[in-house]
Amino acid sequence: MIPKILRGTGLTALAVGLLAFLTGCAADAELDTLNPQGPSARSIDNLFDPVFYVAVLVFIFVFAGTFIIWWRFRDDHDNEEFPHQFHGDTRLELAWTIVPTLILVVISVSTLVTLRGLNETEANAVTIDVDGAATQWEPEVVVVGQQWWWEFRYYLNGLDGVDLTDARHLPPADIVTANQMVIPAGEEIELAITSRDVIHSFWIPALNGKKDAAPGRVHPWKLEADGPGVYFGQCTEFCGLSHSRMRMQVVAVTPDDFSAWVVEQLQPAGEPEAAAAQRGMEIYQSQCARCHVVDGFNDGSGADLVANAAPNLTHLMSRTTYAGGIFNMYEPNGSLDRTQLEAWLRDSPAEKPAYAEGRRGMPAMGLDEGQIDDMVAYLTTLGRAPALDIIAATEVE
Amino acid sequence: MTATTTVEDVVDQPLGVYTRPTGGNGWRDWITTVDHKKIGILYGVAALFFFVVGGIEALLIRLQLATPNGTVLGADMYNQVFTMHGVTMIFLAAMPLSAAFANYLIPLQIGARDVAFPRLNALSFWAFLAGGIVLNLSWVMGGAPDGGWFGYAPNTGIVFSPSPGMDFYALGLQITGVASLMSSINLTVTVLNMRAPGMTLFRMPVFTWMMLVTQLLLVFAMPVIAVALFLLTFSRLFGARFFDPSVGGDALLWQHLFWIFGHPEVYILILPSFGIISEVIPTFSRKPIFGYPFMVFSGIAIGFMGWGVWAHHMFVSGIGPISVAAFSLSTMFIAVPTGVKILNWMATMWGGRIKFSAPMLFAVGVVSMFTIGGLSGVTHAISPADTQQTDTYYIVAHFHYVIFGGIVFGLFAGLYFWWPKVFGHMLSDGVGKVNFWVMLVGFNLTFGPMHVLGLQGMSRRIDSYSPGFGFELWNMVSTIGSFLIALSIAIFVVNVIMSAMKARGQAPCGPDPWDARSLEWLTPNPTPVHNFDEVPVVESLDEFWHRKYGTDDDGRVVRVASAEEVCEDGSAVGVHLPPPSFWPIVFASGLPFIALGLIFNLWLTVPGGLLVVMAIYAWIFEPVDDPDAAHGDHDDHEGDEAAADTIEEAPVV
Repeated sequence: MIPKILRGTGLTALAVGLLAFLTGCAADAELDTLNPQGPSARSIDNLFDPVFYVAVLVFIFVFAGTFIIWWRFRDDHDNEEFPHQFHGDTRLELAWTIVPTLILVVISVSTLVTLRGLNETEANAVTIDVDGAATQWEPEVVVVGQQWWWEFRYYLNGLDGVDLTDARHLPPADIVTANQMVIPAGEEIELAITSRDVIHSFWIPALNGKKDAAPGRVHPWKLEADGPGVYFGQCTEFCGLSHSRMRMQVVAVTPDDFSAWVVEQLQPAGEPEAAAAQRGMEIYQSQCARCHVVDGFNDGSGADLVANAAPNLTHLMSRTTYAGGIFNMYEPNGSLDRTQLEAWLRDSPAEKPAYAEGRRGMPAMGLDEGQIDDMVAYLTTLGRAPALDIIAATEVE
Repeated sequence: MTATTTVEDVVDQPLGVYTRPTGGNGWRDWITTVDHKKIGILYGVAALFFFVVGGIEALLIRLQLATPNGTVLGADMYNQVFTMHGVTMIFLAAMPLSAAFANYLIPLQIGARDVAFPRLNALSFWAFLAGGIVLNLSWVMGGAPDGGWFGYAPNTGIVFSPSPGMDFYALGLQITGVASLMSSINLTVTVLNMRAPGMTLFRMPVFTWMMLVTQLLLVFAMPVIAVALFLLTFSRLFGARFFDPSVGGDALLWQHLFWIFGHPEVYILILPSFGIISEVIPTFSRKPIFGYPFMVFSGIAIGFMGWGVWAHHMFVSGIGPISVAAFSLSTMFIAVPTGVKILNWMATMWGGRIKFSAPMLFAVGVVSMFTIGGLSGVTHAISPADTQQTDTYYIVAHFHYVIFGGIVFGLFAGLYFWWPKVFGHMLSDGVGKVNFWVMLVGFNLTFGPMHVLGLQGMSRRIDSYSPGFGFELWNMVSTIGSFLIALSIAIFVVNVIMSAMKARGQAPCGPDPWDARSLEWLTPNPTPVHNFDEVPVVESLDEFWHRKYGTDDDGRVVRVASAEEVCEDGSAVGVHLPPPSFWPIVFASGLPFIALGLIFNLWLTVPGGLLVVMAIYAWIFEPVDDPDAAHGDHDDHEGDEAAADTIEEAPVV
């Protein structure tokens, strides 16, 4: 795939040729920064592209100059005669001070205009149809970074009066999910980004630039996807051991699908019927509920963790990835990827480096194979698998 | 070159209880020396050693990232290695290699006998070495730092980084920072106070000018990092919570402090290289530097503006949009003085008669490669674009084009250029050219593809990546390139060894191998211990060149004197020089004990502290030297007013 920057006007053959060669092999670059799928990312791209071309022009100017100097002024013959000695030229100096300054003034103005646009927010609302009663929701999502996964919290009554200053003790939210943020396409989503431990950075390249998640601070940001689709992201502020394994996705769906998703997510977990699942639920209660939450089963946890939280599992099965967005829940055909899930339950530190002994990350629970089977049976009752096309689009390697 | 060290002659009647060492040529001479040239060589050797260490760390990084899901290092070790790669290259390789050039050349370029405070100079070196040793001891004492060279809080706190690595980072860098601070004060005073008669500020070579700006940046930047490191040390070791928001601290405090130091640091690194190539390019173009005052003032402008751009490292950190806009603009406009420099170097070459010897190739390498780094810099000075690029490999590409393309190439230009000045023999120019081309190709193969990786969205500081994002090919290319760089370094080492072997038993090379321009070449090669036989009286910029060349009636350059006629022969005897001292190394040897004591067992700080205190007392009560010993220079210049004015009191501190 050729990044968009090269599909434009093709300012210079060299730049296009060079970069086409350089980037020619990216088959499916889901994190490509030059392939905007939303207004914010597009306005950034529209600023970057021309500046990049200017930079290429200056590059060509300097390299052509260097080449000409080598061609014309090199002395191969140990010529003892000195060239004309000149010490400088004030007019030239002024010229190459003023011309770059003027170029940069133009770039500055467009930077400021873009910056302003990126910091503006629009008032919008999504209609959510809960049991036939339509409510208006101004789309806002609280993004919480934690070693090494992301939590997304939806407060359907808005964020007014919601105290976000201490991310380790956030007020209960209507929907709490992890690693996959579901949003309505075509709507601007305001984000409030914070962290429970160290600094992380939230970044969905196709939709917008990144913004750090810092403890004790709430950073405003926004996202908007042009249309339904899955947009990949990766934590980009170094956050310790498993920094590379802290990924996320934004799943943009149609407003109707979004409304349906909200209704589904609002459901608490029920009591499982199968015997294995019931045994799994008992294991969950004795082992997992210390840190994890399943709405309708244990509404809070006394998580003895540095960050004081673990992913909410109420609708685990509605998420196609887990463990910081690095494992697939499902095979491409929609069946559960049981092998991976069992491996994770068997010895999670072996699957993803963490400091469980330092109360950061999930420890190995010491379950035997029968218990693991029971746990899988219970977990599969938590939430419903999304559609096959979502499973296909969200697949990670 | 007949003069031998004259120190023995001078210090034969020590005063007081402490006897001063009397020099010589063995290891005792190296550990007690206060000679700026020997200290320069010590800096150079240590810096090149750490450069190799940091290079090996770089190769490990590249091996880990060569293929998806790399397993060469593992996450924990990878984090330590990339942290130490950055720390080592910045603080233990690039800065001290610049210090090597500064120490060796500044006194020579301004016509001085030594730096202003010779013993302090020795302490600077030994303290730097102590800091470097402390940092690297972490490998065998519980784990190396794992929080990145930038050490963002709170990830470096005791909860999130429980190994002692970050303690080593905080204390090791504190020690090297003190060393840099002492060195910068010393060199600033030297440049301002110890110039030869007639050497006005605007007759100083551009190298000395850039070094002066660098030292002034250091004087103001090092205290900032010292404060930040103290906060970190107290947070980790004594339960302070400066960066903990739950008790009113702020995680961003560290970032501001670090980058208020960290961005001037970038110019601290690059300006010496700019200075070096500003000497090399005119020499090999056989023309004076184009626009000397503009070169000087653009360097000063960079020095000033460098203080107003730190938050461009923090565009996504959550500082407000007004701050982002302001720092975005200031960052863009710092490109102007930098661009002026690039164009002035090109104008210097334009119309010249250029000999593309190895030093010149490296210098042209700086002009072209640094330009790429500068241009990619403009593409993320526009802060909206930076929100896409920051913390991706695009940034890694950018700053390696600046630091490797701009600094390493510049330092290699300097090594090839001044090697005969320091060691009295040339490095092989042919091997040097091979060295350059291998390095150039390897460098571009390594860091060029990182632009693409970054734009494709590959994050920095990740120990592994999954297949399927399009990262595979260019990571492999980059790894191959890194081994070409390693090959080029090996070629340099071979060149050093072969040239030294070839030169053994030979007479030193001639006094002026490059037909050079500035004052250091007035002394014979290698430089005698007393530098100048008689302190030169300076009449113009490019003094040395003007002593060799004049112009005829048509304005053509004609030689008026051969280099042999102009250069001194180093035969002066009885020159009053500062005597060596044991105490700088004793002082510095106490510092690692204090650092290790703070980390592991406070009792260990006692012997460390005693060593330091003892060294300070001994230093104070050390006899100055024999007041009756020989003063002045060559006998037949007794009474020469101009010369006597400046040579009389050799600096002793």
